[in-house]
Amino acid sequence: MEKLSRIIIKLKWIIVASVLALTIFFGYQTKFLTINSDILSSLPDDDPVASLYKEIGTQFGGNDMGMIVLETDNVFKAEVLQHIKQITDSLKYTDGVSTVTSLTNILDIKSSEWGIEIGKLVDEYNLPNKQAQLDSLKNYVFSKEMYKGAIVSEDGTATVVMFTLLPDADKQAVAKEIKSKIENLNLPEKLYFGGLPMMMNDISDLILADIVWLLPIVFVIIALILLLSFKSFRGVLLPLLTAGIAVIWTIGIMVVTGYELTIISNIIPVVLLAVGSAYTIHVLNSINQSKEKDRKQALIKALTYIIVPLILAAVTTAIGFVSFVFGAYLTMIKDFGIFTAVGTLIALLLSIFFVPALISAFSMYRKKIETDQAERGNILTHKILQPLVNLLFKHPKYSLTAWGIILGLSISGMFFIKTSVNMADYFKKDNPTRVSEDVMQKKFGGSLPVFVVFEGDMQSPEVLKMMIKTEHFMKEDPNIDMTQSVADLVEQMNDAMGEGKMIPDDKAKIEQLWFLLDGQDVMTQLVSEDLDKGIIQSRFASVDSKNIDEFTSKMNKFIQENNSENIKIELTGMPSVYVKLNDSLIQSQFSSLILALVMVLLIVGLMLRSISKGVYATIPIIATIMILFGFMGITGIPLDIATVLVGSIALGIGIDYSIHIITGFNFHLKETGDAEKAIEKTILSSGKAVIINVISVAAGFLILIFSQIVPLQNFGILVAISMFGSGIGALTLLPIILILANRKRKIVANNH
Amino acid sequence: MKIQTVVLTALIVAGSLFSANAQDASTILKKMDDVMYSPKDMTGKNKIILIDKNGKQEIREATIQQKGTDKRIFRFTAPASQSGIAVLSLPNDVMYLYLPAFGKERRIATSAKNQNFAGTDFSYDDMESVLFSVKYTPKFVKTEGNVYVLELTPIGSKSDYSKVMVQVNKTDYYPELMEYYDKGNTKVKVAKYTFKKIGDYWNASEIEMTDLKKNHKTKMQMSDVKYDTGLTDDDFTVRKLKQ
Repeated sequence: MEKLSRIIIKLKWIIVASVLALTIFFGYQTKFLTINSDILSSLPDDDPVASLYKEIGTQFGGNDMGMIVLETDNVFKAEVLQHIKQITDSLKYTDGVSTVTSLTNILDIKSSEWGIEIGKLVDEYNLPNKQAQLDSLKNYVFSKEMYKGAIVSEDGTATVVMFTLLPDADKQAVAKEIKSKIENLNLPEKLYFGGLPMMMNDISDLILADIVWLLPIVFVIIALILLLSFKSFRGVLLPLLTAGIAVIWTIGIMVVTGYELTIISNIIPVVLLAVGSAYTIHVLNSINQSKEKDRKQALIKALTYIIVPLILAAVTTAIGFVSFVFGAYLTMIKDFGIFTAVGTLIALLLSIFFVPALISAFSMYRKKIETDQAERGNILTHKILQPLVNLLFKHPKYSLTAWGIILGLSISGMFFIKTSVNMADYFKKDNPTRVSEDVMQKKFGGSLPVFVVFEGDMQSPEVLKMMIKTEHFMKEDPNIDMTQSVADLVEQMNDAMGEGKMIPDDKAKIEQLWFLLDGQDVMTQLVSEDLDKGIIQSRFASVDSKNIDEFTSKMNKFIQENNSENIKIELTGMPSVYVKLNDSLIQSQFSSLILALVMVLLIVGLMLRSISKGVYATIPIIATIMILFGFMGITGIPLDIATVLVGSIALGIGIDYSIHIITGFNFHLKETGDAEKAIEKTILSSGKAVIINVISVAAGFLILIFSQIVPLQNFGILVAISMFGSGIGALTLLPIILILANRKRKIVANNH
Repeated sequence: MKIQTVVLTALIVAGSLFSANAQDASTILKKMDDVMYSPKDMTGKNKIILIDKNGKQEIREATIQQKGTDKRIFRFTAPASQSGIAVLSLPNDVMYLYLPAFGKERRIATSAKNQNFAGTDFSYDDMESVLFSVKYTPKFVKTEGNVYVLELTPIGSKSDYSKVMVQVNKTDYYPELMEYYDKGNTKVKVAKYTFKKIGDYWNASEIEMTDLKKNHKTKMQMSDVKYDTGLTDDDFTVRKLKQ
């Protein structure tokens, strides 16, 4: 290691220059970073449920459906109808919009004794304005199942305007334009925007706002903490510089390899700032404590001491991140894992190579204030660490008992952990998207799309009758308000031909009824062009995982019983995806934690050449993870796409503190030969770095409280808690274990 | 005095020029109507080719009988599943549909004229044989090569279009191209006409209608066209429809 340290110092100029060049290159690349707010694109292609949903949503346009809800005291008023028409027209003449369906332009098919009347529900060029007309419209709308609760809410206070986008449209740009256009109409009614295109537009705004607002705050906070702890310009500049460069490189690599920023990878810069600065902190701390007179010699010695624990710390942290790759369901979580791991390793390389090179190249050595510093002995050492050491040695049992009580509480809290996969929950309660979703759910039976896919001859009576049967079955569920399929339209047309509202038994009749349906806008949303596939479109009103579970299992049973040679039925839609996502949350939490734990144990054990020390190192972190889950259970913070990450991240970062304590212990044990003295020395020296590190990392993550995205807020709180847990664990629990293990060994040795 | 004369002359000249153009525009449109709607009656075969955005084609065939501008029977002959389906259009938006599998006809009232006719890119509005000079106010735009370009504005507010740009052949006055604009002033549909002279009349041997939003195309091709064979009102009754 000393050789390496010398080489680093020797090649200082080359290192500094190449870091500069790479930073300019990657910095330029970050200009091309794009945001991908499409959560659906993150569903894994190898999962049949998810890929079917993506395929169906794309083929039948359901995923590109947006909704505008207009809420007032009574929809059936002349001026309200006028406003609905304004919205409808405004949407119709927006580039990228394919179809618009609203109360003022919806096609109405009436069958009467003499024939069929195909017309508009209301005449958009001559909107009803007399009370009698309005009343009769109201009565008619409420008499028809396809309008009531579907286009006008059952209480008559809200109506929805639905629109689909052209497949090749820039969805976010169109959503943005629609929003500003409609808002500029300045209508007196309350308007809500919903549906995936609108939601994605919002998410993308939130991601941007988060980056723009949070990153500078994190920067400043970490800088302040560094200034307080190192009281030097160098102590602030170097950690932030390396972390900042690590962020730039990581984002640059993301761009070069063709990845986009998602709702999750959004926090990569925050994570890297917090984590990446830590390695430089340790390097600086090691240099500061070196008592060598010769500056260069001191640098080499400090570096030699710190390289191994640093590599250990970074590799274990990276493992924590990489562990998501194997457990996660959403691809965006895998991407997050990979790139934060990459960023962590970059930060490691920078703090080993770049920081010493920079110090040596620009003579950024510390000014001679060491005596002064030692004199003040800094508050941290005297007020916290020294008393801590005293406490630990005098009353190890007390400390253990305290830990025992906390862990006991946590374990009981763990039983109350909930999961949350509902996308609306990701927004704050007052966020417009969240409010829209709530309104959609209350007034129009929710916005969670449900599709039942039928493969077979869409013009055969057998298939159409099965569709009708399925729709009846679905509607028995209290959370299904309306269903729509081509079978409904065929029934309606058959009725119009005077043969009753049913599917004809004769295929020839169906084929001829089709003549009336062909070319209607709605047909492309219900059947494939080759007529070999059709769907029932529906919406699920509840986001409660118990209701969703019940519905999907009931449906899957029904489908199994009714699948036949001629009809292949499949269920998909958001509820099905949520069930998968929900199962995967717990599964991936478990698998990524176990994986990370085993890997960390192995690596730490190997590097320290002692499995028992590896086990000791993981004890504080296991305790921390228990506290973490206990806290989640007690406070009701759910396991979701972001908080599922905390366990492994806490493990990866938290283990660093234990590693620093144990390597310090080994080092000082060799020096003094006395275990208890070694521990005291370790706590007094490494303890400082650990505390600074805990505070700066925790503060960095705590900034996420100001995030616009709820899971990220929770993520910040939870990581901060984990940092304190593992830091305190490393400074109290670990030394106690080391003390007790040593005493035991001594006793065993003495007895022999 | 002199100046006044000049101004007055200029005004008169400009005014007459303007009115000459206005006159021209409606004359041109009337002549176009004459070319399109002058036969007393017509029979022929109609081939409807639907072309989707991937270039996939679907073909339907029908026979057409038409008398004047407002009586017409479409009788489908292919594909087999639609063979025998017939549509009778009578004046005042009265339509009857006959479905042979049901063995009965139904009257269809369509007030929604912007709906497409039987899966084609032609709306009921486009299929209507109402004279252009009745539906639109023309404005002369320019002469361009072989054609007059007119801008047609719908009379009354009940149209889905804000304007239609028409190119009329200078010598024979049949339309060559029509471009339909929606109320957002976006071009939404284009109709390309191919006319051939049959006997005394010009016949639209092919109309290719493209829906620019859906990227979907319909070609209507006429063949075996016969004019003035002496069809009577009795050929356009419900009873005839069912045969």
